[in-house]
Formats: sequence, structure tokens, C-alpha cells
Amino acid sequence: MRNLIIFFSAFPLLGIETGSAAEPIDFEQQIAPLLAAHCLECHAGAEPKAGLDLSRHEAALRGGENGVVLVPGDIQESRLWEMVSTDEMPPEHPLSAEEKELLQRWITTGVSWGAGSIDRLRYTSGRRAGYDWWSLRTWHMPDLPAPAAGEWSRNGIDHFVWEKLAQVDLTPAAPADARVLIRRLYFDLIGLPPTPQEIADFVSDPSEAAYLEIVNRLLESPRYGERWGRHWLDVVRFGESNGFERNGPRRNFWHYRDWVIEALNQDLPYDEFVRMQLIGDLEKPGPEGVAAAGFLVAGVHNTVVGGSPRMKKLARQDELEELVGTIGQTFLGLTANCARCHDHKFDPVRQVEYYRLAAAVAGVNHGERTERLVEEKTRLANLQAEITLLTQSLQSMNTLAREAILKLRTDESRPPPAPPQAFAQWEFDGDLKDSIGKLHGQAVGAIQLEEGALVLDGKSYVETSPIDKNVTEKTLEVWVQLDGLDQAGGGAISLETSNGVRFDSIVFAERETQRWMAGSEGFLRTESFEGPKESEADQRAVHMALVYRADGTIVGYRDGQSYGREIRKAGLSQYNAGASRFIFGLRHTPVGPNKHLQGKILRASFYDRALTPEEIATSAGTNTDYVGETEIVEWLSPVQRLERARLKSELDERQTLLAKIQEDSKRVMYSVTPTGMPAATKFLHRGDVDREGEVVTPGGVASVAGVEADFQLAADASDADRRRGLAAWITDDENALFSRIIVNRLWHYHFGQGLVDTPSDFGFNGGRPSHPELIDWLVHQLRSHDYHLKPLHRLMVTSSTYRQSSTPNAVAQAQDAENRLLWRMTPRRLEAEVVRDSMLAVAGKLNVAMGGPGFEDVSVKENNGTTYYEPLDVDGDAWFRRTVYRFSPRGGRSALLDTFDCPDPSATAPRRAVTTTPLQALSLLNNAFVLRMSHYFAERILSLNLPDAESQVRSAWQWTVGRAPNAKEEELSIALVESHGLPALCRGLFNANEFVIVE
Amino acid sequence: MNASQNLPRREFLHWGSHGLGATALLSLLSGEPLQGETPAVATPAQTEPVVKRAIHICLVGGMSHVDSFDHKPALEKMHGKTLQYDKKPDIFFGQIGLLRKSDFEFKPRGKSGLLLSEMFPNIAELADDLTILNSMESNSANHTPALFVENSGFEANGFPSMGSWLAHGLGAVTETLPAYVVLSDARGGPNGGAANWSNGFLPGHSQGVELRGGDQPVRDLFPAQGIDARTDLATRDFVNAINQDHVARVGADPVLAARIRSYQLAAQMQLSVPEVSDLSGETKTTQDAYGLEDEQTADMGGRCLLARRLVERGVRFVQLFSGGPIAGSPRASWDAHESVKQNHSHEAGRIDKPVAALLQDLKQRGLLKDTLVLFTTEFGRTPFAQSAAGVIGEGRDHNRYGFSVWMAGAGLKPGMTFGATDELGWKAVDRPIPWHDFHATVLQLFGINHEKLTYYHNGIQRRLTNVHGQVVNEILA
Repeated sequence: MRNLIIFFSAFPLLGIETGSAAEPIDFEQQIAPLLAAHCLECHAGAEPKAGLDLSRHEAALRGGENGVVLVPGDIQESRLWEMVSTDEMPPEHPLSAEEKELLQRWITTGVSWGAGSIDRLRYTSGRRAGYDWWSLRTWHMPDLPAPAAGEWSRNGIDHFVWEKLAQVDLTPAAPADARVLIRRLYFDLIGLPPTPQEIADFVSDPSEAAYLEIVNRLLESPRYGERWGRHWLDVVRFGESNGFERNGPRRNFWHYRDWVIEALNQDLPYDEFVRMQLIGDLEKPGPEGVAAAGFLVAGVHNTVVGGSPRMKKLARQDELEELVGTIGQTFLGLTANCARCHDHKFDPVRQVEYYRLAAAVAGVNHGERTERLVEEKTRLANLQAEITLLTQSLQSMNTLAREAILKLRTDESRPPPAPPQAFAQWEFDGDLKDSIGKLHGQAVGAIQLEEGALVLDGKSYVETSPIDKNVTEKTLEVWVQLDGLDQAGGGAISLETSNGVRFDSIVFAERETQRWMAGSEGFLRTESFEGPKESEADQRAVHMALVYRADGTIVGYRDGQSYGREIRKAGLSQYNAGASRFIFGLRHTPVGPNKHLQGKILRASFYDRALTPEEIATSAGTNTDYVGETEIVEWLSPVQRLERARLKSELDERQTLLAKIQEDSKRVMYSVTPTGMPAATKFLHRGDVDREGEVVTPGGVASVAGVEADFQLAADASDADRRRGLAAWITDDENALFSRIIVNRLWHYHFGQGLVDTPSDFGFNGGRPSHPELIDWLVHQLRSHDYHLKPLHRLMVTSSTYRQSSTPNAVAQAQDAENRLLWRMTPRRLEAEVVRDSMLAVAGKLNVAMGGPGFEDVSVKENNGTTYYEPLDVDGDAWFRRTVYRFSPRGGRSALLDTFDCPDPSATAPRRAVTTTPLQALSLLNNAFVLRMSHYFAERILSLNLPDAESQVRSAWQWTVGRAPNAKEEELSIALVESHGLPALCRGLFNANEFVIVE
Repeated sequence: MNASQNLPRREFLHWGSHGLGATALLSLLSGEPLQGETPAVATPAQTEPVVKRAIHICLVGGMSHVDSFDHKPALEKMHGKTLQYDKKPDIFFGQIGLLRKSDFEFKPRGKSGLLLSEMFPNIAELADDLTILNSMESNSANHTPALFVENSGFEANGFPSMGSWLAHGLGAVTETLPAYVVLSDARGGPNGGAANWSNGFLPGHSQGVELRGGDQPVRDLFPAQGIDARTDLATRDFVNAINQDHVARVGADPVLAARIRSYQLAAQMQLSVPEVSDLSGETKTTQDAYGLEDEQTADMGGRCLLARRLVERGVRFVQLFSGGPIAGSPRASWDAHESVKQNHSHEAGRIDKPVAALLQDLKQRGLLKDTLVLFTTEFGRTPFAQSAAGVIGEGRDHNRYGFSVWMAGAGLKPGMTFGATDELGWKAVDRPIPWHDFHATVLQLFGINHEKLTYYHNGIQRRLTNVHGQVVNEILA
């Protein structure tokens, strides 16, 4: 432990200079830190203990409930001194003699004070970190220490490591031999073992050039992204289910995992990598950006939040805490989540700063979105244009025919047909009742009925009781007059699920000004009808109808005539009996901006089937002008008929194609579904949702040096501005903390433990840096490589420090058992995923297919809303993919992975536990997967057609542990194979220390 | 000499907590010395531990306290009346019916005269051994989060359960059985499944291990596919030989030695798990006492007997669940929304005799002197019926504001009740006991100060009791 003192001494915890008796008191340097460290935890703030506030000059002199405590110049009358000198204060932690002397001198010399109040979070003490905390400071280029004597130092890393070792008279271990080194490098960079040939090649030419060639090859391998992507997924708690009570699966969340792997393989600069995860959906709209922003919703999501508004608020606050915590820890090593109820107990993070961060992500919501590639969008647009043209040709042909037919028609030639029978009809003649069925309406807000019409003032609406019938095919119909044509987004009549999540509605001017459209949730069943602009509905009532046919076709009608073109969607929405209702005057619930209609509804009807054009026309009262399709076709010449049929068939073909491409190209992904304009965030006293305080603006943490924590945004800024502000603050080039965190993470994975051994916490409770200057030197390297990570990997794995052997050394062990000084490479047990992947690779079964939905080795069963995941025994190529592609629901564990400490994705795992248990041994011996791989591995060796048992045995050793067996091992192996077969040997070797532990 | 014998004992007990072990800043009382060797965790003593092991019976679904352990005469008088309240009760289904008296008759029991209902006739016989807490309260009235709070002190998953804290903090007494064993209801696991016995961020060795029936009582205990016993043995000998050889060559690194040792323990576990699970060696009298022959009690009877055998052999914490998944029909838990009488009679009938037999058996064998038995439920049920207003329905809704649990065994004042709900049993009023206090008390019985049992995780020295917890000293002997 001697060496630990060396680490700490580089960072004096308490920066108080006590000075000598003769020196004058320096309040800022001497007294303020002392008071901050020992008194202000209780005697400051809004409700200081005993009413005594020692953070402000005036208040300190005034004293508290028990009277004056400080009398300038009079130590005897100063009660504070009495309490401190008798060790009554601070309770349980009396001041040292030096500190007491300082305090005494301060009082006797007149209780001097600095400027303003003391900010207790500013000062580092024995109990907390201040603004001057090592990790928060601005970055300075450290001096490169002298290299090691001789040839040992290869790059800057070695200079720093050598210096620390030399300080305690230790020397690095000898270089690892070629076999050990290449194995280490493979596992480290790609998480898979080298083949016997690859080992042999390097052993025969272990030159610097050969090593560099391997390093570069591995860094360029797609397997690199899979290996290092897995590390990242640990940190961001990537899990494919919601967690909590219901724990429903997220089948569409693999896009994020794939994006991470791809981004690492492309060596996306780290700052860009982070920005994409915070604002990808804004910066790069489309599948890639939206997939990246999946980071924001990678955590658990409570889908059962209870009924009361309070419970909902609480659940939302819990979710924000989890998100703020993950963002803080992942990118900045700041446990900002600890400041939700009070100022951080250990780090300089104010409670209000927690709420500023929460405000920055207040627009983040969980959900699924549909994304398409640009080229797919273009293709759809082109098809759309073709459809429009075809529709126009068809319409002009119809119009010609229609006009001609109407000229011939006389009034008495056709009796008016009976109007179609509605399922429900609302006349609004003095009440809101359904004149046919039971779907009576109820006013929400100030509704008026005037002259047989429902008057909508843009704030109120009407909702009906639930419909008692399942609905898919349907017709919505309304006679509506608008207060003005410049309004937008209001719905005249809507059918919606009771929670308003799904709806179909006759909507005015939501996407296109002055045009009618079929409104639906997320525009799922919405596309422009390309109908004419409305110009009359503010003067008189118009008849509007939408017909939803079973094949997904939606047709609009205005005044009984078709409105623009038909649109076709992949399917209709089903509305369930008892859980769906109609609303008038609101697009859908809940109430929100641009959803209300302003105007009058004279009558509305609902049909539980798709009306024909004739029926619509009849209902609209325009039947006398209506000309049916049969009539038109009869009127046309044979040539025109053929042309019309061709147009119709082409139109039909394109519409089918359009629907198909829309369906095929859509990438449904779980990601952030932002609230564009989130409400202002309020400070919560003690974190209590019932105790709202002042409004806070989005911002960061002021103690992070080098960057401006105020995002310069209004409290009601848009989600986009808030998250952009956050991303800019985090990834700012001057934010040294941001870079320190990532270089330490890389180090952690390469060397088994970080230079700071708590990779997601650089605060007071976290570990202290073993090589602080090395961290800043690595930051310099990162910046000079424009935040690309591969050069950093290269730097680390080519250092002499990395290339040491792992040979134990009793002297060094006694001094630095944890190897913080890097006197050797610490041997490491492979992670769960690497154990599994390696068995697959060795057995010749690894399926390297990348991306897409994960393979499932659990059964997914839903029972009454809750989803259960039980391990399944699976066999086959689809399941032989790398473990990073395993569908990983929370709580959906696997015996083999579990015992090898694969973390459950419920919480972040910046550092995995490494345990060795009998259950782990049992799993590696007996798990079905292991036994199966033993057989496949044996088959693979047999397929090599090796001449004898000796060669087979040697081959098995080469594949698993990367070397030939020695004489004794060979003898034991042959004996095992002869009596019990090759699979027994394969199973045995999978259990060898050398297979699961990397030197 | 076996290389592993050079290693300090602690390395094995924590099964190679290499790397992380150093940051597990545990400050604990020592566990009992192991076969004359050094203690599991050497730390400053706090109080003398009275409890060395515990059996925790978790009733899933929410047992009605007003029908079992919390006698409410006023409820009888108010039967059919409306509950008067300032704030409308914030309950799960929001249906507030009229007050309903207990469907079970209460009478004084034993020398202590505790008023217990006929719901648990056999347990009631042992009233003088029980310490009943009548003023429990929970953070949640939602099954899964409430179960999580009951087990880990947190509503979200990802936090270690009490059994894991104890397994990690005290280590194991035996190395050939897991320190923390879970025995689920034959009808299925509780809501939230394995998250209820999760080790959270604690090292893997402290995770609850589910002991099931069948060929694989513990996952992967035996080869998943048929392997000739001689082949299996020869393979393992081979593994041992090459691993020993490897250590001899490269030097005794703790990680390597721990692995070798883990294979030896694994072999012993293959013997000890079937041995402990085999109840056939128990006398007919014992088997009958636990109700093994009766279809209704066979499941819980077998598990209670198994629990005794496990603690006898050194398992630190055994957790039994009464009740399977909440969802489904007919109900397989204590979630008596439809009818308390019907549901609780059925559920109690499954466990009353076995639990009573377990207490008796532990007493008889002198094990109750240093064993703690916990009998808990995630929340209680409302004194009013779950039905439309103005109706006295037969079911009761969830009640997190007041409910009952009991403890029995070492270190407790027996034959007493502590704390109280209001006169109707709606809310705890006299010394409300949140789960944090319950957990603090259990740790105290194990000789552990709940504020000192900590583990660093993501910036916080985490505790089972978070930043709360007050020991209920009044019930301690």
C-alpha cells in the first residue's frame, strides 16, 4: 500500500494553507475552505441548523437561535470558538490543532471576510470534491517524463509508467512471448482467439512490423466493432425489454446496437459518436441518426405508472433521474443523479444543476418510430407523382363523360335513391344524442348548440360513449362549416381508441394549408389526397366524408364528389368494442395545440362499412348530379374504354407497389420520440413532486471547467435546442473531463483496470488516478487525432507496457498487489461473451453474420401483460452468431453467460465483476452449449484428416490454447481420447485455465 | 501439495472476488469461523450476532392482515359502513366498496394470548413463538415493485436482495452449497422472477440460486446431455491435471488457483445438492408433520423440509415463495381481489401446516436458537371491499399503508405484537415500519449495522437500506 500514498500525495485533498502565527489571515485561501469543509454542511442554505448561517458575513456575525457566536477580536465571547475548542463542533469530526489555531487567529484578528458568501461546493475537503477537484480542472499538457534507461520505452505511455515504477524501485516485467502476445491482442481487439496458423506466422516472425501489421488488421476487422461495441453497450445499459413490472420486449431496438458496432468500425470520431447518440435524430434525420439516438432510451421504461397524476409525475421524474445519471456517468463520470433531492453529498453538483440537466432532456420520450432511407423516400415520391398523373388522366376522362351524360339526363329520368343507413348519427338539434344508436355525446368544455348545429370555439369538443362493436372498415361523414380557412389541424369527426393513441379523423389543414386530409396517429394512414384547396367552407357548410375500405384504401369525398386521389395504406386500424369512441371538434385526445376545430358541425354520421361512391353522393344530397362508373363506361367509345381500363390497371398496380414499398422500406425502431416543445422544468424541493419550486433553464454543471454551463436557452426552449445545448456542452473541445473519461475507458478495457478504476465516476467517491498526467497526455493524443479512437488503441497496444508478460513477481506483488503501477500485465479471465464466442470459433461454427434482429435463446411468453423470458436450449446456425447479437431482454438470463458475470442490462456496468464460482465450473462443464461445441469441435478436428491421434491432440491444443501440448499433456490427452473419445478432450480443453484466462 | 492450499481462505469464500473484492468496502462482523479457519470477513465486531442463518417465507400477492394477524373489532362494528377519509384512498383499482369485517374468526392463542385468526390454525398454535409486526408499510401497492422493495429496498430492479447482501457480507458457511438458495412455488416463480433474488451490482457469488426439482436441481449441475460417468470423471481428472500443471509452471496466481478450487467445489456440489434434496431419509413422522403426503401441502411441505436441511448444512439464507405469478386464472397467489375467504383459505391451507412444522422442527433440533424465520408479504389488503361504492364485495384491494408480517427465532422477544394500524386496519399509525426498518432489523439480528454494510457502485456506497432504516429495537430480546 506504500505506493498508494504516492498517488494521493499528488493530489492534496485539503488545499488549506495553515501558515504561521505571524502571518496575516487569507480568508479565501484559509478560512473559507475550512468553514466549507467543516461547518457549512449544516450551517448554510435555506434552513441552516440552529438558525446559524456561517456562509455569509453578516449572518455569521448575527449568530443563530442561541445568540451571537462570533465576536470579532474576542475569543472568550465567541461561542463558536468554545464549541470548536471543546470538540463539540463539528460533531464527531473535531478540527485538527492547526485548523483550530487558524480559526482562533481569525477570530482574534477580527473575523475578516472575503467577497460575498462562501460557496461550500467550491472547496475540496477531506469529505468532498470541490471545483478544484483533479478531474474537473482544465486541461494542461503534461511534461513528458524521461524515458526508461535502455530501449524499454516505445511511446509516451511507457515514459509515464516507467516514471511511477522507478519511484518505488520497481521495473517492468519481461516482454511477453509472441504466442502470449498475439493471443492477448486478438482477445483484446476482436474478442476471438487467433487461429493456429495466425499464431504460427507471428511466432516465426515476431518483428515490430509484423506486430503492427496484425494490430492494424484487427482494428480494421468488423469483429473489432463487435468486441468494443459490447463494451459500450455495457456502459449504456443496452437492454431489449422495458424492465419494471411488465418488461415487454423491444423487438426493434437492435438498430441502436448495430449503429454502435458500425460507428466503431468506421472509427467515427468519439465526439461525433457521442453527439449522434444525443442528437442523431436531429442532426441526421433518417434511420442512422434515429438509431444512434436510441442511446437516450436504452434504459428501463416503466409502462405501468399508476393512475394518479402524482404517480405519473413520479414515474417521469424517476425516468429522468435514470437518464441524467446515465448521461452524466457515461460521458463525464459525473454522478449528477445524486443531486436530485439535495446538493451532491460528495461532488460539486448543485441540486439546481441536476434539474438543469433534467430540463435538457425533458423532451426525451420512449417509443417506436418509422424511418426510411433517402433513396426510398425518393422512390416513393416518384411513384406518388406517377399515381397523381394517372389519377388526373382518369379524372379528366371521367369528367368529360360525366358532363356529357348529365346533359342528356332529365330530372325525371332517375328517382332519388334512398340514403344509406348509418350506424350512428348526430343531428345536434338541441342535444348531443345519437339519433340512431346509443353513442350519445358529452360536452368537454363550453359547448353551444345553435340552430341545429354544434358550435366549436376551438377549446371545447364532444366525446361519445364507447362503441360496442369492433370496427375496421368504416365511413366517417360530416356537414361542417369553418370559422375561417386559416386554421390548422382541427378534426371534425374522429374515431379513436379511448386513450387517444390511435385515431382516424376528418382533419382540416394539418399538413397542407386549406386542404382536407385523413388524419391518423403519426400519419400512419395519412397521405395527401392532393385535393383542391378549400375555398367555400367558411361561407357555407360542406359535406365531407372519408371511406376506409378493407384493403387499406382511403377515399375522400367533398360534397359527394371524390376529393383528390385515393390513397392506399398497408392496412386499416382496428378499433375494439368498448375501448373506442367518437369525438367531434378535436383531432384526438388528449387536448393539445392545433387539434381543435373552430366552426360548426351541422350533422355527423358513422357507417360501420365502406360506402360506395353512389351512396356517398346520395347521402350528400348531390345524387342528382351523380354519375356512376357503369354509366361512364357505357358512354365511352371502345377505344376510350380500353384506355380507361389501362389507366385503371396501371393506377392499381402503382398503388399496390406504393403500399408494398412503404411497408418494406419502413424501419420501425425503438428510439427517442421527442416532445417538440416540452414544458418548462421546475425545481423540486427535496426531489418531491409535490413541492415544485422555480422554473429552471436547461444547462450543465458549472464545476466542469473550460465550458459554459449555461446553455443560453429559455425555460420553454424546444427539445431540439435543449439537446443540442447539452451535446455541445458535453463534447466541447475544452471539456477536458469528456476526453479524460473516454481515454480511461479505453485503458480500462485494454489493461483490465482503468488509470482511474471507476470508469464512470471521476468524483470524490470514485477511484483516484494512478497516473493523472498520463491521462492528460492521452487526452492530448485523442485531440490530436481528431477524436478518432483507433489511433488511441494503436498507441496503447503498441506500448511496451502492454507488451509485458504477466509473470508474477513477489516483490512487486507485495508492494502493489493490484498492479496499479503496471509492473506486469494482469492475467484476465475472459468475459462471458468471449468464452461463448471463442468456443464457437474454435468449433468452426461461428456465424459471422452481422446486424439485424438478435438471435433468441430465451422463450418469450406474455401472461396478462407481463412478459417472461426463460432460457431455451437452441442449436443451429442462426444461434451461432456472436453473443453481442443475442436478444437481451432484462432478466432474460442465460446460465452460461450468467455464471461468467455477464451483467443484467437493468443497470449500467462500466466495470464487470469477475468471479470464480463452482456454479461457473459446473456451467462450463455441463451446459448444453458447451457439450454441443465439444462435439462440433471434435468433428472439425476429425475432418482435418490428420494421420494419427497425436496430431489430432496437438491440433485440439493449438486451437484452444494456442500452443502444442508438452509431453505430459500430450500423454494425458491421448489417454483421454483413446478411452473416451475426442469430444471428451475438447470438453476438457474448454475447461482449461489457459482457455478462459488470458495472460 | 495442492497449489490452491497456499491461498488465503477468503479468496475461496468469495470465490475469487479478484479485482472487485478490493473495493467491496465491507465493514461487518465476522461470520462464524469455518472449520477452525480464519473468519470469512475480518472486520471490527459490532454486536454479537444472534442469528446465523435465516429462512424467509414470502407470500406473493398480498395477504390480508385484517383477516389473519391484525384483529380489528371496530371493523366488525363498522361492517357495511363507508370508510371516512380526508383524501380518497390511492389504491390500485380505484374501486372503494364498503367496509367489510373479517371472514375469519379471531381468538386468543397460547400463553401470550395473541389474537390470531383461524386462517392459520397450526401457526396460531405457535403464537408464543411469534413476533408479529402489525404496522408495516410499503412504498408501492403494485405487485412487482412492492416485491422488489420487500426484497431489495428499491422499487426498480437491479438492486441486490437482502439474501444477496447477507451472502456477500457474511460469506458462506459451506462451500459446497450456494450461500443463498431460492425455492419457488411449484405453480411458478413470483412476478419479476429472478430479479427478486438478484445480486444486483454485488459479485455473482451472492446471487440467489434457485433449487428446483428434477434432474437438474441447480442449472447445469450435471451434464446436459448423457455422458458416461467414467468419461465425465476422466475428463474432469484431465482438467484438474492440466490446470495443476499449468499453475506449477506459471506460478500461483490467485485467479488460476481459485479456478482449480472451483472445480473441486463443483464436484462436491454435485454430491451435496442431491443429498440435501433427497427427503427420503427423513422419518415418516417428520414427513407427515410437514404434510408431504397431502396433496394440498406437499409442495410447501417439501420446500419447508428442504429449507431446514439446507440451513442445517450451512446455507446462509433460504427464501421460499408462497404464490406464483400474479396473472392468470384461477389465482395462484394471495391476490384476493375476488374473495378473501375463498382465496386465503386455499392459500393458507397450502402452507399453514408446513410452516408450523418447520418452526416446530427447528425448535426441536435447537436450530431456532440461531436461526431466524421471516414470514412476510409485499403489502396487505384494504379493510373495505373491492367493489362498487355502496356494496360489500368479497374481495379486498391492495393496501400499502398498513399490513402485518411476523418473525420467529433467535434474538427476538417472542409472543408479542408490535406496532398498530388504525382501528380499521387501513393505515399504520403506531410506529409505522417501512421495509428499510424491517431490513435494518434483520441485519441487526445478524449482528450487522445496516449503515456499515455497504458496497461501492456508480458513485455511491450502496446500502440495503439506502439512506434510511431504523432498527425496531423494541422487538429485540
